[in-house]
Amino acid sequence: MLNWLESRTGFVSMTKNFLTEDVPGGPSYWYVFGSATLFAMILQIVTGIFLTMYYAPSSASAWESTLFIYQKVPFGQFIISLHYWGATAMIALVAMHLVQVAVWGAYKRPRELQWVVGIVLFILTLVLGLTGYLLPWDLNAYFASQVSLNITGAAPIAGPFLQNWLQGGPVMNTLTLNKFFGIHVWLTPLLLILLVGVHLIIFRHNGSAGPPRDDRRALKPGRFWPNQMFMDTIASLVVLLVIVILATLSPAPLDAKADPNNDQFVPSPAWYFMGLYFLLEIFPGQLGQLIGTIGIPTLGVLFLILLPWLDRNPSREVRRRPAAMVVTAVFILIAAGLSIGGQSTVNAKADARGQTAPTVPGGADAAKVAAAAAAPLAPAGSAGQSSSSASGPGATVFSANCSSCHGASGQGTPGAFPPLAGNSAVTAADPKEIIQIVLNGKTGPLNVGGTTYNGTMPPWKSQLKPDEIAAVLTYIRSAWGNQAGAVSTAQVQAAAK
Amino acid sequence: MSQAHAEAYLDPGTPEEQSRRAFMANATIVLGTVIGLVIGVPLLAYSVPGKKINELSAEAWSPVDANDWTKLTTSAAPLKVSFTRKTTDGYFAPEGASDYVWGVKMNQTQFDKMKAERTDLFPPDASKSEQVPYASQIYTAGYVIFSSICPHLGCRFAWDDSKSIFFCPCHNSTYDRTGERTGGPAPRGLDPLPLREQSGKAEITWIRYKSSTPDRVIVSYS
Repeated sequence: MLNWLESRTGFVSMTKNFLTEDVPGGPSYWYVFGSATLFAMILQIVTGIFLTMYYAPSSASAWESTLFIYQKVPFGQFIISLHYWGATAMIALVAMHLVQVAVWGAYKRPRELQWVVGIVLFILTLVLGLTGYLLPWDLNAYFASQVSLNITGAAPIAGPFLQNWLQGGPVMNTLTLNKFFGIHVWLTPLLLILLVGVHLIIFRHNGSAGPPRDDRRALKPGRFWPNQMFMDTIASLVVLLVIVILATLSPAPLDAKADPNNDQFVPSPAWYFMGLYFLLEIFPGQLGQLIGTIGIPTLGVLFLILLPWLDRNPSREVRRRPAAMVVTAVFILIAAGLSIGGQSTVNAKADARGQTAPTVPGGADAAKVAAAAAAPLAPAGSAGQSSSSASGPGATVFSANCSSCHGASGQGTPGAFPPLAGNSAVTAADPKEIIQIVLNGKTGPLNVGGTTYNGTMPPWKSQLKPDEIAAVLTYIRSAWGNQAGAVSTAQVQAAAK
Repeated sequence: MSQAHAEAYLDPGTPEEQSRRAFMANATIVLGTVIGLVIGVPLLAYSVPGKKINELSAEAWSPVDANDWTKLTTSAAPLKVSFTRKTTDGYFAPEGASDYVWGVKMNQTQFDKMKAERTDLFPPDASKSEQVPYASQIYTAGYVIFSSICPHLGCRFAWDDSKSIFFCPCHNSTYDRTGERTGGPAPRGLDPLPLREQSGKAEITWIRYKSSTPDRVIVSYS
């Protein structure tokens, strides 16, 4: 069969040629970083493609569809978490690859352009991280992206235009989501794949750089296939296992839906932007912001791109390049120090507000949305977007059973069903009466706050368990400004006898 | 082997080296397959709508539009009767969408004719009546309600007053006033929906049936 395929396509010999490649000094686990990065990229592309099968980029659906993936799609949380940790893995591996190439002097002639393409790939990876961060449209995504867009806009010359282009208009809104989606899902991945191809073609042209030895004759070549490929595969498997373990033990977080009015939320950038974040902290003021977030990063990138020409030392041996080693070490120390500084600043700010990472996908409000989805038809607009911070089992029981008559905010239905908010029967110190009404129902007319209500409250004792009734009573007695004590399951059981 | 950077492939090596290479080649293929499966199997399951997505939503009574119903009480021809259908559209919060069903006013004689004609709904063999959902709720207070969806392939049909038939524009299925198929490719007659009177108001239950099958299979209540 292979002969048949070969005679018609030449694919077999093409594959053989592709896999036939000397590895100077023989195969080594030191050489796996490039291929591990490639593997992480493939994982990101594959999981990303499948995420678009449910995800919908608009301000009305981005968060909702993301939450849907967590709650309703088989393995949904796992796939999102693979993509989340895959991003971290990819950036970490790109960084390791870059540092190794720098330390081993592999950017030197004739591989200058391979290095330059590599730096562009590094930047594209960061662009993917930045644009992907907005897509869930949760509180953190919203405010973190708002900050990065305004930093962009403050840049001299092209800044205002770039911000307008990225936002898709004068402000950040649903058009921004669409723009970021296009950049994250189509533009950057296509450029990335193209440039990875260029990176590999240049790699094949010059051959593998091998270990940092100036005496090339001492390096006996080994085989890429199967020897080095075996090690690369092991490395990819290890990378995958680490990502799978992280995705299982620490799933990707999803906060409450983006709420532009939230004035308490402390957004935090992804870990790989913590350094930049801290620069913003170190350099205060208008000028400081320019220096910290645009000046220094631009100089850093320029330095990296020009490195093959700045470093005139012909040797690749580590001990013959003290200056390069010092510069590399300083670079790494600065990056690590800034990142740690940024992280502790964010942590301190979040701690000051008692803000913790969301434990439930979608934050506390998500449970209410899920309950509303299961509830009978409620008046339009009542589901979800309540400003009440209450959550828990009582809220869930309420949205599923009570809100369609008494309203999502306990406002009631005029003429038929009384409001619960500010209703003295609900907030009475002794909950006996309200327990009875929920257990056995009530038929109007009923006078609440001077208004007559004529609806029928069905008995709930056969529909809800005592603990559910206790939870929902506790909820309605403490929500929407009501401030009455909790009702226990025992009280409900006693009343039901 | 004239390829550049392929020196290592010139010497086939010792038998030990060859067997070592064969092992690594096989191990690479096996481990590569493992990687593919660890990623591929969850992705495949992920792309198949699971239990939580396919779950049948609860059936519910919806009151019909009062004006439409008043018109129907005096109409000899079938009329569109609007109502608010609870829709659960994927990840969107459930909401009410305006929809309609076909209402047909029938006296007892007309309904008896329907009963005799529509053996799919009222089988002569009583033991089979279990197959028809809501057989007892089809005729309520002198009215029959039909789903507005053509049982053939899901288009929307309409009443043609000049010919006194329900006509579906997609594939020319036709039905008479009792919903019996009179022409075209449809595999069954029109689908009746449960109708009840509640405090003097008409209420229906919206049901979406599987299309193209002779039997009525409930697909969704929304």
